[in-house]
Amino acid sequence: MLLIWSLSPLIWQLYTSLSTPEALTRPLEINEFRWTFDNYKQIFQANPPFVRYLLNSLIVGLSSTILTLAIALPASYSLAKANNKVSKISKIILLASALFPYFLLFLALLEFAREMNFGNNLLALCIPYSALCMPLAVLLLTAAFKDLPNDLEEAARLEGLGLINRLRWILFPLIKPAIASTSILVFLFTWNEYPIALTWISKSELITLPVAIARIAGSSVYSVPYGAYAAATVVGALPLLLIVFIFQKRIVSGLTQGAIKG
Amino acid sequence: MNYLLLTPAFLLILLVFVLPLIRYSWMSMHSISVITGLDYIPNNGSNWIRLLNDDRFWRDTIQTIRFAAFSVSIEIVLAIIIALLLSQRIKGKGILRTISLLPWALPTTIMALGWRWIFNTPYGPIDQISSLIGFGTLDILSNPDLAWIATVIGDVWKTTPFVALIILAGLQTIPSDLYEAFKMEGGSPLQSFIKITLPLLKPYILLSLVFRLAQAFGVFDLIQVMTGGGPASSTESIAIYAYLNAMRFLDFGYSATIMIASFILLITICLFTWIFYNKLKSKLSI
Repeated sequence: MLLIWSLSPLIWQLYTSLSTPEALTRPLEINEFRWTFDNYKQIFQANPPFVRYLLNSLIVGLSSTILTLAIALPASYSLAKANNKVSKISKIILLASALFPYFLLFLALLEFAREMNFGNNLLALCIPYSALCMPLAVLLLTAAFKDLPNDLEEAARLEGLGLINRLRWILFPLIKPAIASTSILVFLFTWNEYPIALTWISKSELITLPVAIARIAGSSVYSVPYGAYAAATVVGALPLLLIVFIFQKRIVSGLTQGAIKG
Repeated sequence: MNYLLLTPAFLLILLVFVLPLIRYSWMSMHSISVITGLDYIPNNGSNWIRLLNDDRFWRDTIQTIRFAAFSVSIEIVLAIIIALLLSQRIKGKGILRTISLLPWALPTTIMALGWRWIFNTPYGPIDQISSLIGFGTLDILSNPDLAWIATVIGDVWKTTPFVALIILAGLQTIPSDLYEAFKMEGGSPLQSFIKITLPLLKPYILLSLVFRLAQAFGVFDLIQVMTGGGPASSTESIAIYAYLNAMRFLDFGYSATIMIASFILLITICLFTWIFYNKLKSKLSI
């Protein structure tokens, strides 16, 4: 039951993407003319080619993940060491912003982008994205730092290792699993984010994957060549299928840790 | 010195979460649109008076609440059932868990487009099957009374796995001794669910309830791609209306007013849910 429920919409997309236009009008009949790869050829030959959107999303995803980690790691380290009052207040702030429906922010962020001239700049997108992921990242990483025994760091300090070296050689390797979970969750968020990408980027060769898909959907309700669109969704979904299958454990542990510590 | 490391993270949060709200409050007291040449002209709260008399805003509010209430409650019930199933010792649990994660990991726009095709008239599978068995085409997405149900289905499909994972994490914190002791005392499985599982799951259910309510209240991608707010604005959420005001009618002052109003509404709803939930729980545990 669970399998059918989660998979059937995806399988239907795959089925549609391999169908000829004639077959689409009679989807439940089987005949020898119904299978084709034309839909895939079409989206890879389009201008700009569909791969371009995947590449854009990849650039945004990687840059945001790196920026988020660069800011969240030191912050979580000091939060794990902070006294009760500070860590309690920060936790409330982080939780409140993690729950916030970020759609409400898009207009102010758009004004911000205009003032800073960030429109149509893929790399600039990592600023709002890191901020939106910051609460989750800091919560997860702080929990991981707190689980480490204090003596270990003490010993390294007595050996004469400075803060940066302690972080680099002792602490970061120990919380690698938490870093991996955080990065994957941040990457998934940025890969899927829509409203901000929609309003910040308008050049069609720079738009990210979700925006490209939505543009397809918005073009026209009646003349929609659904086969090509289904092919686009399949190609867009493939990288995520891979990520989910490879990092399943890390995603689950990241989400559950987030829930338990929150 | 240590707190210096915290500053960038909290500055970023201040910049992206707090400043927008302050800015919206300021914008909501001004006229800012193409008519004013995008200059800020103070208008003594006429944005707010317009909002109070704006039927479209209130209809969208009711639609958003209906969408959020139905999808979140269905998601939580389904998620509890799925989490209970997944916590049993069954074969292939890992694969099952991976597959149930897929809907959550896919971009909303991709799956919204998929659902639009599934509900398509007359070529989508739902209408094909219903005309095969003689009901004719259902035409769900162009029926103002039914289209919102299709969006609820899309949302439930996407988000249930996420809620199920949180509930599952909660289930795994309950020691199995508790169940065994209860069984020895002669309690039935249903009783043990009500007396042990539900009360101990409470923080997890509450967390997912508040989180999902807040997210569903700001629903945008799903509806924009699936129905575009139609037919006849019947699926239009507050977020879509705010978006239209800013990007299509280019009335930024009014759009900011809608954002602030929906923020206040959301906080009120979350508070009420929390109070109601606590009352319900204390009644159940007696």
